[in-house]
Amino acid sequence: MSAPGNVASGDFTRRRKRKRAQPKGRQVEPAALAAVREALGDMPRRRDMLLEGLHRINDRFGCLRVEHLTAFADELRLSLTEVYEVATFYHHFDIIRDPAVEPPALTVRVCDSVSCAMCGSEQLIESLKGKLGANVRIQRVPCVGRCADAPVAICGQKPVPAATVERVAAAANAHDVAPEAITPIGYAEYRKHGGYATWVECVTGKRAREAVLKTMEDSSLRGLGGAGFPTGRKWRLVGKEPGLKVVAINIDEGEPGTFKDRHFLERDPHRFLEGTLIAAWAIGSHEVYLYIRDEYPACRLMLERELAALKADPPATLPEIHLRRGAGAYIAGEESAMIESIEGKRAMPRLRPPYVAQNGLFGLATLEQNMETMHWVRDVLEKGAEWFAAQGRHGRKGLRTFSVSGRVKQPGVYQAPAGITLRELVDEYCGGMQDGHELYGYFPGGASGGILPAAQADIPLDFDTLQPYGCFIGSAAIIVFSKADKARALARNAMRFFSHESCGQCTPCRVGTAKATELMGAEHWDQPLMEDLSRVMVDASICGLGQAAPNTMNCVLKYFPDEVA
Amino acid sequence: MAAQPQDVQQTETIRFTLDGQQIGAYADETIWEAARRHGVVIPHLCYKPDQAGLRPDGNCRVCMCEVKGERLLQPSCWRKPTEGMEVSTHSERALHSQKMVLELLEADTTDTAYVADSRLDHWARALGVGKPRFSRREEPQPDFSHPAIAVNLAACIQCTLCVRACREVQGNDVIGYALRGGESHIMFDMDDPMGNSTCVGCGECVAACPTGALSNAGVDPTRQWAWQGQESEVKA
Repeated sequence: MSAPGNVASGDFTRRRKRKRAQPKGRQVEPAALAAVREALGDMPRRRDMLLEGLHRINDRFGCLRVEHLTAFADELRLSLTEVYEVATFYHHFDIIRDPAVEPPALTVRVCDSVSCAMCGSEQLIESLKGKLGANVRIQRVPCVGRCADAPVAICGQKPVPAATVERVAAAANAHDVAPEAITPIGYAEYRKHGGYATWVECVTGKRAREAVLKTMEDSSLRGLGGAGFPTGRKWRLVGKEPGLKVVAINIDEGEPGTFKDRHFLERDPHRFLEGTLIAAWAIGSHEVYLYIRDEYPACRLMLERELAALKADPPATLPEIHLRRGAGAYIAGEESAMIESIEGKRAMPRLRPPYVAQNGLFGLATLEQNMETMHWVRDVLEKGAEWFAAQGRHGRKGLRTFSVSGRVKQPGVYQAPAGITLRELVDEYCGGMQDGHELYGYFPGGASGGILPAAQADIPLDFDTLQPYGCFIGSAAIIVFSKADKARALARNAMRFFSHESCGQCTPCRVGTAKATELMGAEHWDQPLMEDLSRVMVDASICGLGQAAPNTMNCVLKYFPDEVA
Repeated sequence: MAAQPQDVQQTETIRFTLDGQQIGAYADETIWEAARRHGVVIPHLCYKPDQAGLRPDGNCRVCMCEVKGERLLQPSCWRKPTEGMEVSTHSERALHSQKMVLELLEADTTDTAYVADSRLDHWARALGVGKPRFSRREEPQPDFSHPAIAVNLAACIQCTLCVRACREVQGNDVIGYALRGGESHIMFDMDDPMGNSTCVGCGECVAACPTGALSNAGVDPTRQWAWQGQESEVKA
């Protein structure tokens, strides 16, 4: 201990002075602040604009520098750590800590999820290394929603379907990096063919709210994001909530194997917008948020244009419509995580109760719906509840939109009756299996819905029909594999995806997915330990990601035991 | 004079069953709080009821209980009982999850003790969780840049009590949670060394930390306590 009296010494005073002259922690650099202000432009300085602001800075400078983040925190009146924890959560933000390091001139993203992996993405990533120039970064990324074109690379923002080294190199050398051209049915054309008339009938009192709710309930239309909650019932529940209400539309499809939302969005964007407007009217809401994944830049830019056209000449008074951009996070597709993301936070799922229907976006009662669900609203109301319910097979009701990828002749998006079997789907819609490939098994619901063997190719595919098999249909992403593939390798790919995409909040998922990925790498699987691990993940994870992650592992143990014994 | 909180007589308005016993709960009470008033301490790590201002977060999942008729287990620190609810904290299913969570966290933390009473080790012993069967995580480097607080993330279970202590209790907002999934970790400011951060050294995070990942610098770990004297008795 120091001698008494030291406290009053000049030494101490000098130290205090030095402390005052140099405040603790990172300080805002005036040049960085000016640069950030210029990049942000007129963006409102609000917490919920945090992701948008990060996008503007990232787009402007090709990366997020720590000095810019420090200035941005000051500009938004947020702490340093709150900005940094959000910026590091989303994979499309490139943080550079070293001021001497320049961002890559071009990033080529190569999808390494199930369908692309089956079609050789690993070899593609390996052979791309060193072929594209020193300043080009090759990044492996999870599903980009183009599984019918596997393997897929994204050169800047330009998708390269059926990617080879040559095709990727050609795009990179030609600097072909802008989003692809899409030609949807535009606003004028949509209206010319009766578009928005049903919504106008609703808001002008020609259709009664009760009748619309009844039709929706009778139609058997269910949430097509994967959970399958009856749509009409959801509208009625949220409509009954007191106070202000808000509608949030989920266009964050990220389940490996799923690309149906993009399919509809690229072709007919106003159809889902009209459905959304009808939903907002039905529940008495005046505010709508659309949240679109950052992997779909062409769709986002198109949606910006079409929304502008709609707002410039609306057929009736529109609610407030906001378009928000995700930033590379599968978990943001979880309903409460999407709400957190719109609020400008890390996309970490909330604990229930309370449910988002009662306490959702900005604390308001929230109707959250998948984009495709809204796509069908107009047809259901115009053609009647029976029209939708009548379409089905093997005793099931309604239509399902299947995203089919893998070893079939014609992968793609198909509208087929609910309850169709895998064999029927492949034979009637996909032109059969690829030549030389024999059906070995399939994922009935993306990476999370489990795996079924060829012996189970004749069970009806729909909500509720696959539970007895340890599977679910989810977003109806069907990935078909053949005897050229190993179920265990595909299952491990799925688990690695979940480990990569876990938000890191709860123990069973954060630690469980990492341990499961390791265990699944062993030649002989440790079944008792895997069963213990699977149980805690299913029983105790906060959200569906951790709860469903063990499905594929369990299915390999159950249906493909020879591969891992 | 206005009534002080301690003067207000609370009455148990909700009756529910806890491990076969009928008990009462106050209107706004969680299962965990009601259980403790009735002498049952449910394992807990990311929840510290005895440090003022720290709300439950329900992330560690060690306090899971089984509610009859529900598909998923429920975190007792978060979930509120309702009339007639049948809750089990000792069913085979609830105990299985509690133990597995402890085993997973043991696998991801070091064997080195940074406090004399790590709550993780305490509950692992109490529930008879042995050596983890999973591979160990690579240990993060310690951070001794701060004069008063030692950072040993090798002992961190990522319960975010320190984040809540710093952000919500003290309003300093220096501690955050960086990255995601298996890469996620506790950080200071922009993932800076704690000594270079805006930390004012208030010590709220050290008091909140259940495992000694944040501890008093320069003090022998065997003479430091995490949550000394607090709900340390385990009711079997």
